[in-house]
Amino acid sequence: MIRTGARRAIYVTMVMAHKDLLDFWKAKMLVVSFTLFPIVMMIIFGYMFPSITSTNPYAGKFPSQYGRLPIGIVDEDGSRISEGIADQFAQLSSTTGLFSVRSFASLEVAKDKMTEGKLKGVLVIPQGFSGALSSNRQATLILIADDTNPQLASSIIGQVSSLIRIISEGVAASRISDIAAGADPEALLEPISLEREPFVKGSATTFQFLAPGFMALTVTMGTLSGLAASISREREQGTLDGIMSSPVPRYAVIASKLLAQTARGMLQSFIILAISMLFFGVRVYGNPLLMVLTMFLAVLSFSGIGIIITSIAGEQETAMTSLMLITMPMTFLSNVVFPIEQLPWFLQAIGKSLPLYYSADALRKIIVLNAQMHHIAPDLIVLVLYSLATLSAAIPIFVRSVSR
Amino acid sequence: MGLAIEAFGLTKRFGSFTAVDHVDLSVKEGEIFGLLGPNGAGKSTLVRMLTTLMRPTEGTAKVGGYDIVNQADEVRKIIGLVAEKLILYPRLNAVENLMFFGRLYGMGGEELRRKVDELIEMVRLERFKHFPIGGYSSGMRQRLNVVRALLHDPKILFLDEPTAMLDPQSIRFIRDLIKDLRKGGRTIILTTHIMDEAEELSDRVAIIDHGRILVVDTPEGLKARFGVSNLLEVFLELTGRDLRDRAENRVPIRAIGRV
Repeated sequence: MIRTGARRAIYVTMVMAHKDLLDFWKAKMLVVSFTLFPIVMMIIFGYMFPSITSTNPYAGKFPSQYGRLPIGIVDEDGSRISEGIADQFAQLSSTTGLFSVRSFASLEVAKDKMTEGKLKGVLVIPQGFSGALSSNRQATLILIADDTNPQLASSIIGQVSSLIRIISEGVAASRISDIAAGADPEALLEPISLEREPFVKGSATTFQFLAPGFMALTVTMGTLSGLAASISREREQGTLDGIMSSPVPRYAVIASKLLAQTARGMLQSFIILAISMLFFGVRVYGNPLLMVLTMFLAVLSFSGIGIIITSIAGEQETAMTSLMLITMPMTFLSNVVFPIEQLPWFLQAIGKSLPLYYSADALRKIIVLNAQMHHIAPDLIVLVLYSLATLSAAIPIFVRSVSR
Repeated sequence: MGLAIEAFGLTKRFGSFTAVDHVDLSVKEGEIFGLLGPNGAGKSTLVRMLTTLMRPTEGTAKVGGYDIVNQADEVRKIIGLVAEKLILYPRLNAVENLMFFGRLYGMGGEELRRKVDELIEMVRLERFKHFPIGGYSSGMRQRLNVVRALLHDPKILFLDEPTAMLDPQSIRFIRDLIKDLRKGGRTIILTTHIMDEAEELSDRVAIIDHGRILVVDTPEGLKARFGVSNLLEVFLELTGRDLRDRAENRVPIRAIGRV
């Protein structure tokens, strides 16, 4: 009896979920917008946070957010040495992909171009540069960055300094080998060096951080708002009465909504993953099944809250607006778009009390680090506990709200 | 003949407002029982309780011999509901709608397909059965809405204002359909405030106001009792001739809950 009861519950759950998906499929414009949404979102975010191509020998050393910035170079020294330095700078700029370099006859002309906004900085090789260099004194270059945008300027200063350091080290190395033949110039220049070994396989890009977070975010937000919309719509249009007056277990009604909405949410998440892999070099190193399990738990952990809000709200607009109150902060606090370490402690505490933090974390570890079950067990336990607690509160509240 | 419905002191309160007030009621098997009352009299709340969509605050009722609270699932198996709002999905077509609800009652396969075709034929929608019902006229939709409640051959059928806002042809069609439906010994509870409809269809009627049943009798019995020629006069005699939307009569939306 119990077995047939459970079987029947599963059957009607599938029937109702199938009906929801069929209903969704029939709304063609909805399906198109629903599919386009993650594509548009990922393309925008993808180009907002560009990653570095791995064919570049300097990949990872010069993270550039801006692409090739136009920089001018003015050689006031006019010697063979200064020309060589200018060439080296231009060449390094092009191999690192940091700047596109143009030379200018005078500082005045270059500054004019900066005022017009056509140059973001000027590197000046002042008179006497080669003199100082050849007499073993410290020679100085001058950098004028466009600091009308301080953030951009500080990034230019940092990047130009790194390039100059490389050139300067080259000069030092040749001097060392002049003075002490047979010595290792690198060991003398930098007796202790720090080498970075990647933890993440392949090249770590911002996108490896963003994509799993967005997947978790989309699947939870999509399901949450879909759940609220779907339950309230059925209540408002009256079809819920048809379901509730038929011999269908109440929890099966919720389970079916969850199932249908999760399927939709996962579809969007996999579109995100596909775009990230195709266009932004994201690679999945982990187990796809573990990924699906985590996404399912991500949804489950939030659905209780969604059901409670929908049940209390009663109608669609109130339900959607109230949900926004949770989903909007959740987007920014749960380590999805911005690293949580940037936040003050109390916002971090709020972020870490939301299940999205754990699902995004687990998903990231699976996709990027090939984490196994035991690595992400703590995350998954939090999600399971969250699901149990919220759903066991939500089901009676839902049943009460539809049988008052 | 046994009783299809028995209610004992059935009561529903929303906060301080009493929508249904200690209603005792018996409906015989196989009769068409008209439930009449002004707007807000408590008809829909009574029907919602009897169809297990709402829990009573007090009292109880048996539908087909089953308790509406403790044996709700048994009740659900033997009742059919045509509510005020359409119980149909506008994006789905007639077949998809009926197949879906049929499956909820445990039907399937060839049996369900045959039943669906039969019902669609019964309301003459064969030509439109593959069109989304969102594109149907109100009359077509309501015809389908009525047969939706018949999929599992319910013993007891609740019809909440089944002809509201329809054209005369559709009204005629639905009324004839209702007469046909009782033939197999089916009990029908008909909520309406169209008096000639109640008079034409009902074996007995109850007039309900302010949550209480004022009178139960055959239409003829009522007319004779009040010495009038039609049911409308009885109705106005009992429930008054004033408009019913004075502030003290109105129930705040929140109190009604989700309807």
